[in-house]
Amino acid sequence: MNGHPQFEEDLDLYALGALEREEAQELESHLETCPECKQKVEEARGRAALLALAAPPQDPPRHVRERLLKQIAGRRPEQRPARLAAFWQWATPALAALSLVLAVWAMALRTRNKELYRQVRELEGTQQTMNAELTRARAVLELLTAPDTTKVTLVAGEAHPAPQGKVFYHPRRGLLFYAANLPALPSGKTYQLWLVPTHGNPISAGIFQTDAHGNGEVLLPQLPAEVAAKAFAVTVEPAGGVPQPTGPKVLVGLTA
Amino acid sequence: MIREGFEMENSGTLQSRSANSRAHDGDAALMRRIASGDETALAAVYHRYAKLVYSVALRVLRNADVAEEVLQDIFYQLWRSASAFNPSRGSLSGWLLVCARNRAISRLRERTGELAAELREQTVVLKMNLEDDLVQTQQISRVRAALEKLQPAHRQALELAYFEGLTHTEIARRTGEPLGTVKTRLRAAVDFLKRALNP
Repeated sequence: MNGHPQFEEDLDLYALGALEREEAQELESHLETCPECKQKVEEARGRAALLALAAPPQDPPRHVRERLLKQIAGRRPEQRPARLAAFWQWATPALAALSLVLAVWAMALRTRNKELYRQVRELEGTQQTMNAELTRARAVLELLTAPDTTKVTLVAGEAHPAPQGKVFYHPRRGLLFYAANLPALPSGKTYQLWLVPTHGNPISAGIFQTDAHGNGEVLLPQLPAEVAAKAFAVTVEPAGGVPQPTGPKVLVGLTA
Repeated sequence: MIREGFEMENSGTLQSRSANSRAHDGDAALMRRIASGDETALAAVYHRYAKLVYSVALRVLRNADVAEEVLQDIFYQLWRSASAFNPSRGSLSGWLLVCARNRAISRLRERTGELAAELREQTVVLKMNLEDDLVQTQQISRVRAALEKLQPAHRQALELAYFEGLTHTEIARRTGEPLGTVKTRLRAAVDFLKRALNP
């Protein structure tokens, strides 16, 4: 309880106001960090205050009371705590403005978020397409470079310039077909490529159109696997193709 | 922190308080009413303490006009900043007495101290209830009686410090006593009052 005797001696003198300025300042800085001595000073102040009671009692003149009541009339006491009230007075509109800004910002972020989400979906789609194309390109390359791929050139009689087709066929990897110098077809007609197996009916290897130079192609059509090919042929068929060849053969090629 | 008489042995305090109506609200209740702008509450606090405040100011200043100004200033300040009053941190009567003395000393010495924040910052623990007229009179008698019993030199040192606002060096200069003697007397006087006034 008596932790700071060097100050404790002076607490009562301090409360009386009898300390020199420097002594008082030294004690005050100690009080800031010492709740125990602070409590003692508060009590010492109370004791010192009792000395006031020793003053000869004198009634104040009545006009002081009247002056006081006139002075306070129409003046409201300060609302507590003034600083905090002032803070809120300032802060309330500021906070309102801030929340408005935040709301607008949130909406902007939401819009931007949606836009980014859409872009991601778009990129995902693009990537899928590119992946598919890459897979397909790789398959084409593998077929062309495989040592056991059959290569057949298809020709038509002696026409000038002679329509020509090339087939790359592999029983597991699939089929590539390129044609050149094919005459343009009337509307409602299409070229159809056929795989003629060693046994059974021709199998459709897809339909194709030619460009302005008479070039056409069929890449990796859907075919049953492991079919041994005897020949390949191109016929002219009604648009959309047919299950079995009906039209004239324009190109024919036998496997070696 | 507020020791409003309930620690006192004087049972008259409790009796007189319990018999009182709203006009005799406790200081804390009156201060709340003042903070909400109730002028009658200020009038009640004024009625309760103006005489004490004025007496101290007059004793220090020995000038009725200036003492009246100090009195009015203190109660005007009380009206303005009543909301800063925190009864858990000290008693109103103690604060008023300290404030009356300090302001009067400031006027006396032409010091312009910053006293406006006192109600917030200066805690006074007064082990005595002065809310009741009768008890006030009793306490005044007790203090005066205790002071009467002090050795004259001790009492003089105490009064020079309290009512004239002199530091111990100034008291030594005034009385021609050595500084150490003044300090010893002041401490002895305070110790004596401490024992005399503690029930």
